[in-house]
Amino acid sequence: MHSTPWWSRPMSRRDGLRLGVGGLAGGSFLELCRLVQSAGASENSAHSVPRKTPSNCILIWMDGGPSHFETFDPKPEAPSEIRGEFSPISTNVPGISISEHLPQLAKIADKYAILRSVCHNQGNHGAGNHYMMTGAPPRIPVGCGAFVSFHPSMGAVSSHERFAPHGLPGYFALAGMTRSGGPHFLGAKYAPFVVTDDPNGANFRVRDLAIPSGIDESRFQMRRDLRGRIDRMPRIDDPAAADPVKVIDGYYEQGYKLVTTPQAQKAFDIASETASMRDAYGRTSFGQQALLARRLVESGVPFVTINNGGWDDHSAIFDSLKTRLPAWDQTLAALVSDLDARGLLETTMVLALGEFGRTPKISTLPGAAKGGRDHWSSSMSIFFAGGGTPGGQVVGSTDRLGHSAFDRVLSPENFVSTVYTKLGIDPGMHFITPAGRPTFLVSDPTPIKELMG
Amino acid sequence: MFQTLWRVRQAAWCTVIVSVQCLCIAAAEQITFELDIEPILTSRGCNSGACHGKSGGQNGFALSLLGFDPESDFQSIVSAARGRRIAIAAPQTSLLLLKSSAAIPHGGGKKIDSQSDDFQMLSRWIEQGVPRSSPTDRKLDRISISPQAKSLLAGESVELIVTAHYNDSTSRVVTSRCAYQSNEPVIVSVTHDGHLKAGNLPGEATIMARYMGMIGTWSTAIARPGAVDVAAYAVLPRLTPLDDPVWQKLSSMNLIPSAVASESTLLRRAHLDLIGRLPTADEARSFLVDSNPEKFERLVESLLERSEYSDFWANKWADLLRPNPYRVGIKATLSLDSFLRNAFAQNLPYDEFVRQLVTATGSTWRNGAATIFRDRRSPDEIVTMISQLFLGVRLECAKCHQHPFEVYGQKDFYSLAAFFGRVGYKGAGLSPPISGGEETIVVAATGEVRHPLTNEVLAPKPLFGTLSNIPLDQDPRRSLVAWMTSHDNAFFHRAAVNRIWAELFGVGVVDPVDDLRATNPPSNPALLDTLAQELKNNGCDQKKLLSTILRSTVWKLSSIPNATNSSDHRNYSRHYRQRLRAEVLADAIDDVTQVPTSYAGLSPESRAVQLWTHRTGSAFLDVFGRPDPNQDPPCQRDPDATVVQALHLMNSVDIVAKISSDTSRAARLAAGNQSLENILDELYLVCYSRFPTSDERQLLLKEFEQQGRSRRHCIEDILWSLINTPEFVYKD
Repeated sequence: MHSTPWWSRPMSRRDGLRLGVGGLAGGSFLELCRLVQSAGASENSAHSVPRKTPSNCILIWMDGGPSHFETFDPKPEAPSEIRGEFSPISTNVPGISISEHLPQLAKIADKYAILRSVCHNQGNHGAGNHYMMTGAPPRIPVGCGAFVSFHPSMGAVSSHERFAPHGLPGYFALAGMTRSGGPHFLGAKYAPFVVTDDPNGANFRVRDLAIPSGIDESRFQMRRDLRGRIDRMPRIDDPAAADPVKVIDGYYEQGYKLVTTPQAQKAFDIASETASMRDAYGRTSFGQQALLARRLVESGVPFVTINNGGWDDHSAIFDSLKTRLPAWDQTLAALVSDLDARGLLETTMVLALGEFGRTPKISTLPGAAKGGRDHWSSSMSIFFAGGGTPGGQVVGSTDRLGHSAFDRVLSPENFVSTVYTKLGIDPGMHFITPAGRPTFLVSDPTPIKELMG
Repeated sequence: MFQTLWRVRQAAWCTVIVSVQCLCIAAAEQITFELDIEPILTSRGCNSGACHGKSGGQNGFALSLLGFDPESDFQSIVSAARGRRIAIAAPQTSLLLLKSSAAIPHGGGKKIDSQSDDFQMLSRWIEQGVPRSSPTDRKLDRISISPQAKSLLAGESVELIVTAHYNDSTSRVVTSRCAYQSNEPVIVSVTHDGHLKAGNLPGEATIMARYMGMIGTWSTAIARPGAVDVAAYAVLPRLTPLDDPVWQKLSSMNLIPSAVASESTLLRRAHLDLIGRLPTADEARSFLVDSNPEKFERLVESLLERSEYSDFWANKWADLLRPNPYRVGIKATLSLDSFLRNAFAQNLPYDEFVRQLVTATGSTWRNGAATIFRDRRSPDEIVTMISQLFLGVRLECAKCHQHPFEVYGQKDFYSLAAFFGRVGYKGAGLSPPISGGEETIVVAATGEVRHPLTNEVLAPKPLFGTLSNIPLDQDPRRSLVAWMTSHDNAFFHRAAVNRIWAELFGVGVVDPVDDLRATNPPSNPALLDTLAQELKNNGCDQKKLLSTILRSTVWKLSSIPNATNSSDHRNYSRHYRQRLRAEVLADAIDDVTQVPTSYAGLSPESRAVQLWTHRTGSAFLDVFGRPDPNQDPPCQRDPDATVVQALHLMNSVDIVAKISSDTSRAARLAAGNQSLENILDELYLVCYSRFPTSDERQLLLKEFEQQGRSRRHCIEDILWSLINTPEFVYKD
């Protein structure tokens, strides 16, 4: 029904009209559409953004909340009920140790930074996801099962502010959208293109982005021509009329371009990778998603999220991580190394994080045979590589028991502002929502200086 | 009394003030914080939401949003930060002056020029020892705007003069100290000192001036240049009471309405507007060949009796009321859905529908109306929804601060919320993500709502008008509903008809639909009033109202503009095209391909419009913008087109499979012995609700002559093409 919320219809026909009159008299309608898309409702604040080449971003979302103890913040000095079963190993950077089950990453610690002091106050999945994906705390208490959105996610903002070539969507979510990965008031145009198909599958193809199987190229071409002849709905040419049908024409052109442009189709053609490259990433869904993410970024897509689930280890955490970490380690190390070898790491961020860290003390839930760790937002670790980030460093620390961020305490806002700045987006910008309410992109737009290079 | 209030508000849209008195402040007169300084902070944007007015302030300096709390603002300026913002001994060194004039670096830049009156006023206030108002000082009563509101010519300028009137009968000009906003800056722009300028496009705009929580509005319209002879409007048909107010408005704007659309367009439009379903080939054919002059009226009446009507309208209301099943549980969600479908199936009068929702009690498993209270569990949560949906009054802002475009503040908000103070809960509460328990909504014996700042217990009080005392043994919500649904309430019926009108026309007379306020006036007040009167007169019968609307000439206009009206987006001089909503389009594709979609958890022949939860998986519905239960509130429906939608219609394996399935319409037509002409007729009738033109027929007959292309392939390709054209995807 006609919209209730004040952010409904972020881009109305009248917005198009405003632009058409303000700046573009005589311009083509497509130009108008593009401008409408790019201008949106945003306003730049006085904040200045360094005008470097903007980086792209591959965000690996470790859904459930990975343990910082068992990944990037081991506490060998802590008592056993906190320390856990794993030992740390040295990395190729003196002084930096990480979990023994991340041996591949240990070899390339000079390529990434570890953030050990981001913390917040949202201890359940829905809220933690929202805070870390959007940089805004949820407005109301949110339960663990909830999927909420009160603010646009980083990916959605990036597709609002940046473009992808060859008709490619600007924001992909591999394996599924994360809970708060949506566009909120920016509108459906900026939602992620979700790829649920498994790139590790034998017949992988991305839904809707290629000519459907069973229809050969010549028949597709025939259909396209036929459609052109059948389509006789009169268009209203006067730009002041803002005919929505003309917008569709632009989208069909973009769609045709996407399915017929080899550079665009190449982005999804994971089968063209050599077997050894595919093996290097790991023959798992996650491994091949990472490889696909690299191909997308290589083709010019600014933001790709990989929704990597299964990190909510309330019980049997050591068994579970012993199995999961090695493959995950292999994939992440392969992704960073591969980007580096291609000269893309400098302009591609690779981030890995979840909602929060996990409780220092190992606990055994009623009914569970083996212990695990529960949600803990006072401390967490974030993996941050690429995009001009100086590698081989640890930013901040937790206390000696990993209870809470201790040195250089940082917020999700700082983290998200860092990502935005590297994307070439001013984290201090504010949006005027359709109801005229000013909303900051990030309330504290201070990036983490150690990561800015 | 309500009526009066409405008139007062209308009058406010064109506020008039005759006397323009300029009472310059003599140097000797005492300047006070409340009367003189706070307005400067507001007009210069110091306390706006983007600066020091945001929660927590900016760089350690916090002001209340738009200056609604002078007490704390005074403390912030004079005492906080160890008093360093003010230097009484050496006023010119006060941080307040140095920062605001950017004499020293200020993140917000230069806000007040050191040569300006504002700067002088601030300086003198500090020199005088930062005096405050005393309780006996004059108080601001109202503001008024001159000159009298009038229509403007393209490019015309106006200097507004805003006068503040005080309770001691004094007044002064405050033009430079107001904040101004135009609701349509392209139509009329306004500068920070009240200078208006009309753009070159015809349209209407309302300028708001805000001064210390008081709001004045100045509404204007810019007519299209080139007068149209009134005789042109005199001859237009007036089939229902709705036509005349539209023609009147169009006449004032020099806009000529588009022609009436073709009967096939109207056939398709009526189906989509009333039941959200395309006519079948037979239905379309028999209507189009029918020569009965009253066939259209008959069509409308028969559509209103169709069973699809209730599913379609319940689906629309579910957008507004359906909670997130993760939060309230699937059973409570399902029972709300059943409540809605039953309500529309019975054609429950609208006021009764609202009464059943607002006063709901009982089990959330049995009375779906009660589910809204399971979802919104505190008076302040439920009241924002009730006032927005049923009165068109958005109170969310007033929950925390004075509404920036409205007259309502926190006390109004919590007094209205107090009607829900006695809503009680028994049984299993929320336990997301399952929340499977049964909960019963009861009227508790006691319960109160307090003002969050003063902690004062607030008695239930409507937003305007008065209400006799509520008997202690009675649910206060009953009094609230009686007040809401009263024929004297100026908002209830207007909000209702506006929503229905917007569903059909794509834009409300007030737009956004549930935002009725002086600063967002209707594009056509007479039309809105006539619609509201229709609803009152017909006993709040939505079907009767729809029937009246569809019989009106204005509903029948074509979308194709003439030489005068292509830029019209608010006055209904032409029909505005709308993309079919997700469920309707999904069902339409099932119908034209004759291959139904099977939805999990629904009986086999169910249609998308019958889904009771957005958790039912469907890539199609997601792509076409059905509300996402992850959003808060979970009711945002995106009507926009996206490239992903185009790609889905082009390439989706599901749609391709429906077209080429062996049970599809294409396969059946290919296997049958119908003539090619008949096949084309059927395809055009089911997709476009019209016969192909002879041109189109010839063109497509040629397709069948191509070598190496089977009859079935050819039909499939035509069907794919039809589905992928805007004539299918849009309501024209």
